[in-house]
Amino acid sequence: MSNEINPNDIVKTKAKDGSNVEFVFKDPKQGGVKDVYFAPDRSEVVAFFRNPLDVSGRERIEKIVTDYRSRIYEQAGGEYWKECFCWPEKIVEYNGMTGIVVPTYQNCFFFQTGNLAGTEKEGKWFASPKIYNRFVPMEEKGSLLGYLRLCLKLSRATRRLHAAGLAHSDLSYKNCLVDPQSGNACIIDIDGLVVPGVFPPDVIGTPDFIAPEVVASTGRQREDRILPSQATDRHALAVLIYQYLFHRHPLRGGKIYSQDNDVQEKMEMGEKALFIEHPNDKSNRPILDDNDDICMPWVDVEKIPYTTAGPMLKTLFDRAFIEGLHDPAQRPTADDWEDAIVKTSDMIQPCSNENCVKKWFIFDNSTRPVCPYCGTPYKGILPLLDFYSSRNGKDYRPDNHRLMVFSGQSLYQWHTNRSVIPNEKIKKEHTTRVGYFSFFKGKWLFVNQTLTSMKNLTTDQPVPIGTGVELVDGLKLQFSSDTNGRIAYIQIAKGT
Amino acid sequence: MRRLPIYILLDTSGSMQGEPIEAVKTGLLSLLSSLRKDPYALETVWVSIITFDLEAVVRIPLTEVSELTLPEIPVPETSPTNLGSAIELLCDQYRKEIVISNAQHKGDWLPLAIIMTDGAPSDTQHYNRMLEQLKNYKFARIICCAAGPKAKVEPLKCMTKDVFTLDTMDSGTFSKFWVWVSTAVERQSQLVDLQPNELPPPPEEIKLVI
Repeated sequence: MSNEINPNDIVKTKAKDGSNVEFVFKDPKQGGVKDVYFAPDRSEVVAFFRNPLDVSGRERIEKIVTDYRSRIYEQAGGEYWKECFCWPEKIVEYNGMTGIVVPTYQNCFFFQTGNLAGTEKEGKWFASPKIYNRFVPMEEKGSLLGYLRLCLKLSRATRRLHAAGLAHSDLSYKNCLVDPQSGNACIIDIDGLVVPGVFPPDVIGTPDFIAPEVVASTGRQREDRILPSQATDRHALAVLIYQYLFHRHPLRGGKIYSQDNDVQEKMEMGEKALFIEHPNDKSNRPILDDNDDICMPWVDVEKIPYTTAGPMLKTLFDRAFIEGLHDPAQRPTADDWEDAIVKTSDMIQPCSNENCVKKWFIFDNSTRPVCPYCGTPYKGILPLLDFYSSRNGKDYRPDNHRLMVFSGQSLYQWHTNRSVIPNEKIKKEHTTRVGYFSFFKGKWLFVNQTLTSMKNLTTDQPVPIGTGVELVDGLKLQFSSDTNGRIAYIQIAKGT
Repeated sequence: MRRLPIYILLDTSGSMQGEPIEAVKTGLLSLLSSLRKDPYALETVWVSIITFDLEAVVRIPLTEVSELTLPEIPVPETSPTNLGSAIELLCDQYRKEIVISNAQHKGDWLPLAIIMTDGAPSDTQHYNRMLEQLKNYKFARIICCAAGPKAKVEPLKCMTKDVFTLDTMDSGTFSKFWVWVSTAVERQSQLVDLQPNELPPPPEEIKLVI
């Protein structure tokens, strides 16, 4: 396709809010239900619905560009969401068609190198073992840290939608652009938002992501069907996170229910859905011989079990795919994922093998840490901090939050003060580090940069700004005398 | 790994010589290049190309879309349109290549077949016999494209309800057809059986025969 624009193809019109809209009315990109035309400067697109919208569909997009939009963007932390959603901004009527104006995706959501340059980074590229191993260029594969970050962003964005009383209804790799290099993610195709009781869903979702209860109810009478909701979004979110961390699908294993493709699909994704890593029922383990070598090690759940995501995420995967798979009320919420990913990000260690594809691994609480992706053992000693906090300044309770130290690791306010939470509402002054860890002359040190009332509780000595304290087994540090200030208890784990 | 097989059957009878076959090749190239940028297609799609004139020939057996290079497609000067032989070969290849699900292993997804012709079957009797045989093979979809003014629609309608006509045989029209085919393939590789398989409407120059 040529990049030159014929001026005769440019349509200039007005959006419903009275603002000007221009688009190149030629060679649309065809989506599922919309035809998409770019603005001449490609800063935005106009997406026209191929089939005319009914009254309720029209009302829905009206609400999305006005009320729902302001409900999210005009609140504290509103700016943050611009990167997380591709939210429709205006409505355009043209030639009897209804369209929405949506900003174009950020540059990081397009491949930069190789044959794929310019192609959208839809989630599928990173969710399938074959595609990830074989077709994603090495330099764009991203590290484990990038995947954790993008999963965090997806969880946050979903949490925000749900907090506003909305459900996405079709979370899938098609509708979530991701960039494992920068750790960014963006939810697109917002126009199908579901509001329980007001706007029912118009799709049941995308295969791979449709909740088992919805799949199982297909084919029933409309009133007996189970339709997408926040509960089914929670299933889809769990599937996305699992896929981005392990490059495989949590329910597509080796178990055969029927030789008929349709029946098989309906069983394995619906009423008989079974976690491929179910600890007791091993009947749906992937059959390695059915997979090409190129899919290794991701399809081998013995080599890369889901426990490699660390104890926090393991607990949530258990709730999503074991307890809550057929019991929607048990599924982790987007908040749960956000919290667990934040804590998991504090349990990562750099892999010492510079050729390791994931560069980092999550410490699994074992006494002999090994990178699960390349098998390189951790060498040397590994300090870890367990945080405690208090409501009254006297009794300190564990926060179930552990920080694994690596050289160059930073400590932030959200570690040292329980009132600071790292999310979209965080104040700018809370985003700079308060200190750092360093392995110096054979010793692990914490260097205090900004904490004014830090104290070594073991020696009962203050730790002034600009000084360091050696991390030894059993050491207790108080980061602040403030009631919300945290205490850390230090343990030393030994590698090989 | 479960595959989504696509059989492409191309008419190489004499009338396809010159611009028509070149336009088909250009269309195929753009089809392949768009499939190579689609992760769903890269994961599952395997393509085979069969040509037919006096004889039906497998130009490319089922090959992964990322590994496929377009072969030479010779067009003999005067030759009939033996669509019956093409269908016979399609059935043979189906038997040889398609992995059917069994009690232990998941097989391939149901294949797609795309048949393009600019005429009518010359081997009418054989064609009719083969249509009966074809019914024993399950396809997700068979799409027929009757290209140009001489293409006969009636015989194709006996094979599938998805018959399209292209009025002209220039490369512009062909390329629109292949863009549409790639949308159909991409849709097929994403929507696995649960939802009604709705395709976008074909571009203006392509008419769906009703």
